[in-house]
Amino acid sequence: MTFDHIRSAALAAAVLTMAGPALAEPLFWSTQAKPVEETQRMREQVMAGFPGGVDYQPSDEGPWITRIQAEAQAGSGTIAVLGGLHGDLSSLGAMLVDLSSIDTSAVGAAMLELGQLGTGEQKYIPWMQATYLMVANKKALPYLPAGADLNALTYDQMIAWTKALAEGTGGPKFGFPAGPKGLKHRFFQGFLLPAYTGSTVTEFRSAEAEGAWNVFKELWKYTNPASTGYGFMQEQLLTDEVWVAFDHVARIADAFNQRPDDFVAFPAPAGPKGRAFMPVLAGIAVPTTAPDQAQSLALIEYMLRPETQIATLRATNFFPVIATEIPADMPPSVRASAAAIAAMTGAPDALPALLPMGLGDKGGQFSQIYTDTFERIVLNGQPVRAVLDEEAAVLRALMVEANAPCWAPDLASDGPCPVK
Amino acid sequence: MSKTTVHHAGNRLFLAAVVLACVWVLVPIYLLLINALSAPAEVTGFPKWFWPSFDLASIRFFLGFKGVTAALWSSVQVAVLTMVMAIGTGAPAGYALARFDFPGKQVFRFLVVMTRAFPLPLLALPLAVLFIRVGLDDTVLGLALVHTTLALPFAVLITYSLFSGIPYELEEAALTLGCNRVQAFFKVVMPLAAPGIAASAVFAFVVSWNEVFAAAVLTIEHRTLTAFLLQSLDVSPLPLKFAGGAALVVPALVFIFAVRKYLFAMWGIANR
Repeated sequence: MTFDHIRSAALAAAVLTMAGPALAEPLFWSTQAKPVEETQRMREQVMAGFPGGVDYQPSDEGPWITRIQAEAQAGSGTIAVLGGLHGDLSSLGAMLVDLSSIDTSAVGAAMLELGQLGTGEQKYIPWMQATYLMVANKKALPYLPAGADLNALTYDQMIAWTKALAEGTGGPKFGFPAGPKGLKHRFFQGFLLPAYTGSTVTEFRSAEAEGAWNVFKELWKYTNPASTGYGFMQEQLLTDEVWVAFDHVARIADAFNQRPDDFVAFPAPAGPKGRAFMPVLAGIAVPTTAPDQAQSLALIEYMLRPETQIATLRATNFFPVIATEIPADMPPSVRASAAAIAAMTGAPDALPALLPMGLGDKGGQFSQIYTDTFERIVLNGQPVRAVLDEEAAVLRALMVEANAPCWAPDLASDGPCPVK
Repeated sequence: MSKTTVHHAGNRLFLAAVVLACVWVLVPIYLLLINALSAPAEVTGFPKWFWPSFDLASIRFFLGFKGVTAALWSSVQVAVLTMVMAIGTGAPAGYALARFDFPGKQVFRFLVVMTRAFPLPLLALPLAVLFIRVGLDDTVLGLALVHTTLALPFAVLITYSLFSGIPYELEEAALTLGCNRVQAFFKVVMPLAAPGIAASAVFAFVVSWNEVFAAAVLTIEHRTLTAFLLQSLDVSPLPLKFAGGAALVVPALVFIFAVRKYLFAMWGIANR
């Protein structure tokens, strides 16, 4: 490359940069539907019906929130609508406009309350919901312990099953998303601990919690040790690396859609206090810096329409937040998870454990406590009692700092949720 | 053991090392390409075949994915602009460091490297606020400025060692024969340093091509291919990861292949 070449390249580059941004479509800035196929379906099947079109841009949480903060600080922005999980949106309170003017009569009151983020205003509108399920390769079913009902398993039966699988097939066949991108903390917050203690926070260091962690240590013996690298269990299910797995419904969908006849979805196991499960809620919000507020509100109303909600379900495997008839011609993943979710939520011992409320931007630290506890007890083999006592102190300080009252299944509290 | 046997054994060892190094680099790229060209069921299936079935579904999905071509174009623009700016400012700085003693030289060398000491997620917020205020937000130029800052330490330090390796006596000789300083630089130093400068330009190109965080925050309509795909790929199904990986790797490979002879210059071969 000669100097002349470099000079002409510079000239060409300078000319190219003259073209500025063209922003006609409202920008939908989202942390959801990030996998490329879901993004494609969001654009082609969900957003295409909005007059004038929508620029749907998914992003990692880091850049997502940095961009929003930058626009808020600069006082002008290009983002029209924000989409994210409850946890993503809960730290943004002051940067969001009040959406009380939107007709939300079809949305459940409990979900709407989550959307207020503890303020009197409707900071976000529920957008779509999901939960976590168990999945098994049908090859694993013959190893079920005698008398076990797949739709009403207990944690003890789970351990017996995974033990039989490990011994019968020559290697551990249970997979758990404990990798850096995995959603392991939700399992401890919303499934394991509530099932044994009836609580997520208050009974964190109780004798029952100690028992729950010992149960998980037992289960870990029959868990594929590569689990510490797993993020999306559909991958290991499809490669037959694991035969039984726990994960978010959107992260097991591909297994059903690629090999619908090979897998079954079923509810999470039950412990002494019930069949605990955690719902997932995503919301949509409008930042105060949105370029055209009226257009943003119109887009939010569009997202709540029954036909849009059904299209969103097809695109993302997240279920509608409004009561609506789900058509029969759904993808295999939706059919499989809908049946399992119905069995889980409708079980006589069902115990919903809600998403953390009132933690604001401390949600990440809250989850980190559960991840740390898991790593110390299960991966590093530290004594359960000592770890629980230490992490309980961290949890207590966090609840006081956030001044967050208890949420279900913990009993309501005056002031910050206590850690006994 | 005779001298020739030792020599032969050494040759064989060298050959084995070369083969190992080639395999080390080529096998992952080969696997990436055959998986990108296979049907989804083959990607997750076992046993593996070492010849692709040329199922183009995954690749076709990417070509049809809205914004890929625009993002590729943005990537090229930002990378080329970064390359030009990084060398345009870095090479004179490297020359000054190599030729002149000036007060604060050590501090300057230290400060140049300091730009790499702060993680981008920390810098991105104030940068984005500033860019929105001055109108550089979501432009190729704005992002290229950030990438230039990232590439500058390498440009300065590589060209510094490059110019240090060219004897000052050559310039002095040119000066005694009637050149002025600028002429001496362009007629004598530049031809000797050009391959090395091009190599550090390639390095700047690669730094820009691989950067994700700033690109994801500072651009929306002008996303680079890496920012555009990398965030989506790590959560996408395996067959699309391979196809997307190929889409990211192939343009960079083609570019590196095109400029390969300058790359050797970075290791000093051209100066001999």
